[in-house]
Amino acid sequence: MVTSVGTTLIEMENVGKDYGAIRALSDVSLTVRAGEITCVLGDNGAGKSTLIKIMSGLHQHTSGVMRVDGEETEFGSPREALDRGIATVYQDLAVVSLMEVWRNFFLGSEVRRGMGPVKMLDADGMRRTAREELAKMGIELADIDQPIGELSGGQRQCVAIARAVYFGARVLILDEPTAALGVKQSGVVLKYTARARDAGLGVVFITHNPHHAFLVGDHFIVLKRGRMNLDCRRSEINLDQLTQEMAGGDELDTLAHELRR
Amino acid sequence: MTRRHRPDRATTRPRLRSSPRRDASPPRLRSVPRRDASPPRLRAALAVVLAVTAAACSSSGGREAEEERERAAEAGNAGPPQYTVAFVTHEAPGDTFWTIVRAGAEEAAARHNIELVYSNDPEGLRQANLVQNAVDSQVDGIAVTMNKPDAMTPAVQQAVEAGIPVVGVNSGMDAWQNAGAIMFFGQDETIAGQAAGERLSEEGVSSVLCVLHEQGSVSLEARCDGAASTFTGTIEKLYVDGTNMPSVRSTIQAKLAEDPGIERVLTLGAPFAVTAVQSVADAGSAAQVVTFDTNAELVAAIEAGDVLWAVDQQPYLQGYLAVSGLWLQITNGNDIGGGEAVLTGPSFITSENIDAIAEYAQRGTR
Amino acid sequence: MSDVVEARPGPGPAGTGPGGDDGPRRSMLRQLFLRPETGSLVGAVVIFVLFFVVAGPFRRVESFATITYEASVLGIMAVAVALLMIGGEFDLSAGVAVTTSAITAAELSYQLTLNVWVGVIAALAVSLAIGWFNGYLVVRTGLPSFLVTLGTFLMLQGVNLAVTRQITGTVSTQRISDMDGFGSLEAIFASEWDIGGVRFRTVILWWLLFVAVATWVLLRTRVGNWIFAVGGNEASARAVGVPVAKVKIGLYMAVGFAAWFVGMHLLFSLQTVQAGEGVGNEFQYIIAAVIGGCLLTGGYGSAIGAAIGAFIFGMTRQGIVYAGWNPDWYMTFLGAMLILATLTNLYVKKLAARR
Repeated sequence: MVTSVGTTLIEMENVGKDYGAIRALSDVSLTVRAGEITCVLGDNGAGKSTLIKIMSGLHQHTSGVMRVDGEETEFGSPREALDRGIATVYQDLAVVSLMEVWRNFFLGSEVRRGMGPVKMLDADGMRRTAREELAKMGIELADIDQPIGELSGGQRQCVAIARAVYFGARVLILDEPTAALGVKQSGVVLKYTARARDAGLGVVFITHNPHHAFLVGDHFIVLKRGRMNLDCRRSEINLDQLTQEMAGGDELDTLAHELRR
Repeated sequence: MTRRHRPDRATTRPRLRSSPRRDASPPRLRSVPRRDASPPRLRAALAVVLAVTAAACSSSGGREAEEERERAAEAGNAGPPQYTVAFVTHEAPGDTFWTIVRAGAEEAAARHNIELVYSNDPEGLRQANLVQNAVDSQVDGIAVTMNKPDAMTPAVQQAVEAGIPVVGVNSGMDAWQNAGAIMFFGQDETIAGQAAGERLSEEGVSSVLCVLHEQGSVSLEARCDGAASTFTGTIEKLYVDGTNMPSVRSTIQAKLAEDPGIERVLTLGAPFAVTAVQSVADAGSAAQVVTFDTNAELVAAIEAGDVLWAVDQQPYLQGYLAVSGLWLQITNGNDIGGGEAVLTGPSFITSENIDAIAEYAQRGTR
Repeated sequence: MSDVVEARPGPGPAGTGPGGDDGPRRSMLRQLFLRPETGSLVGAVVIFVLFFVVAGPFRRVESFATITYEASVLGIMAVAVALLMIGGEFDLSAGVAVTTSAITAAELSYQLTLNVWVGVIAALAVSLAIGWFNGYLVVRTGLPSFLVTLGTFLMLQGVNLAVTRQITGTVSTQRISDMDGFGSLEAIFASEWDIGGVRFRTVILWWLLFVAVATWVLLRTRVGNWIFAVGGNEASARAVGVPVAKVKIGLYMAVGFAAWFVGMHLLFSLQTVQAGEGVGNEFQYIIAAVIGGCLLTGGYGSAIGAAIGAFIFGMTRQGIVYAGWNPDWYMTFLGAMLILATLTNLYVKKLAARR
């Protein structure tokens, strides 16, 4: 499916989510456009994961409206979201570490050949495709048969991104892809994130690191205790302001004052 | 030093008693005492050690009693083993009853220069496999318990077809002839149960608790049912978890507390009788304990008057006769029993005849 | 770590030949080390050589047939349990479920005087239902399968005894060997054939077939991929659209199927079933699977490994008797085997990771 840059893919309007009596998210509005990176920033517990769970089909929102391709939608399962081209790469559960790279690449969307009930995996084809697709993203692996757990954290994220791109994702949700990574590895992941955007995907980049967000983001949303605290385009803000917003503005000033001797 | 006052054990008997001897050294060598070769100074030192050791000795029981039995078993035994006999039982590992059966089998094996290969498994299919194992090993004879007749019959027939003489031991009274075994040594559990029932009736009691320590055992059920068939009063069955003694103790105690009218607790294995005595005390009940089968602790309990009597099927005899019977068959074509089962029980052990038996129980043969 | 996988100029994607060539592959040795069953294979060879040297009768073909038979009855269950363990779950009810299945077939046929085929098919339904029940409970409650199946284990153990005693008044089933259908079923589940005077049993062939099918499913089908994924990282598998609940319930039902098969073998080779049997066997299945390289935590293991584990069981069990050793040592020997196999697995995995 070809989407031209700037097309609105997902639109959320005043979306909220209650877990029983607990209000995890309220009145969040955002737009995901093709060829753009939308950064969602926020501290732990700000509601970032609730937001992506709604978009990826793990949870359903309890108020507001979510539109996918302009059509009001509520996903019943991750499979439904995937079928609409919305792929999520989770920080900690991106891959099954004991399984080979190619098996991970095709997990849930295996290619089979043969007929009737005796369909078997097209292992060689999948190996080849996985290697080619990874190479396209600039990832060269010594061995496509090695358990993915042997890869570095950054590479695992990259494989997961390459996989989402290959399977026709139009929206890529990245859940804190750089959180557990060093500077160099983070750089690699940010590079592939930008590549995915250049390929025309709408990217939702979840992070609590304003520096990483500012390197790639086109649009920034800051969540705080389940509410939107900031919603602006790149042209409207600079890194310092973003850091301030993210860290809680005045709170950071106070903290800086306390720490200064 | 302490090792050297028993040189005969340390040098010429490296194996445990239970292992068949396969070294070719003639056993008679053992009678040549090594300590004659030691220098006089050492001999004097040895004498001191021996004297001290003797003074510290217990006059009965202990390891020495066991060794005495070993020496008895070895008397009259000469040369390397000539035959191999497989002894396959349904023992669930660790029951004192089977220790006595095995002791009998091993003594007979030692006397007849037989290499005894003992194996056991409580599950029918796997016990049958062990009989097959014996056939594969081309043993000269097989003694087998047929507790699960349907499972064991094909395996026994296989052995018979291979030309190996088979004798039945302990259980399988109804099945051994059909399977092609040539002798049977054991007790009819129903008859034993009936004997117990008659005795209980004679004692004039009217309420008996029968404690089954295993769910799903045909022979235990037969004992209870046999007793019920001849007993004039009522017998109530109580199932306990025999693998968990503390639970056995509390279950019996609870039952006795609930029903103070119980006059006898009939257990179906010696270890459970000893436990039942404790339960009776715990519950403050007036009931007395009677049981099937014996071991050394139980004999002591009868001597002490804690247990009234025991139905004895003479497990030692079962093991001994099975192996001896096979030896006679192999070497002389004999068979014992004239085609009928040879009954090793029931006989009763009570305070009247306990004195004669206590000594043997002490060394693990009753 | 990173130098292993860092970017290096690989072959051009278009340059690779069709099929076979998958570019740079690990060395043969490393491939071998990475297989879960390698440790158990080494162990099996060592034990085989040990008994071959010390036990004369062990060298006979007849003995090999006996050992393989012993291994096959355990092995059919071990293969199913291995699949389940790769999928990240346990089934403690597997041992008594075998007995339940056999009792169902025997009593249903006998009491209602039906063709034995009817009883056997009903027993299959019951076994699959028990598997479904286990799986459904585990999936729906999210409780550890150890607890859930411990509950089923105790329930079945009680049902086996209670129902059998209630119906028959004793604790073993009636003989059904003279009933319609027994002959044909015996031929399927418990027949024997002679090769040069040595008795081999059909159940060995069934075992090998099941191992082959399980291996094929694991390595070459989509379901196999899902089993590994579900056991390796359930949340991740769910996120990419793997039907986790279906896979797990299916695995429990596979164990149910195996329990049915072994139950039928017992019934048709022994003709009657003891209601109290089967208890404790569930651990033997798990041990065989673990010796064969299955991780207790799931996501890793093999069906062939479980088969080798079962074979180690058979060799040890019978080998000790062939050698004329005191069988009291069997469990000790087995425990040592288990620890050795686990350590070997750990070692080869570390070795493989280092290269």
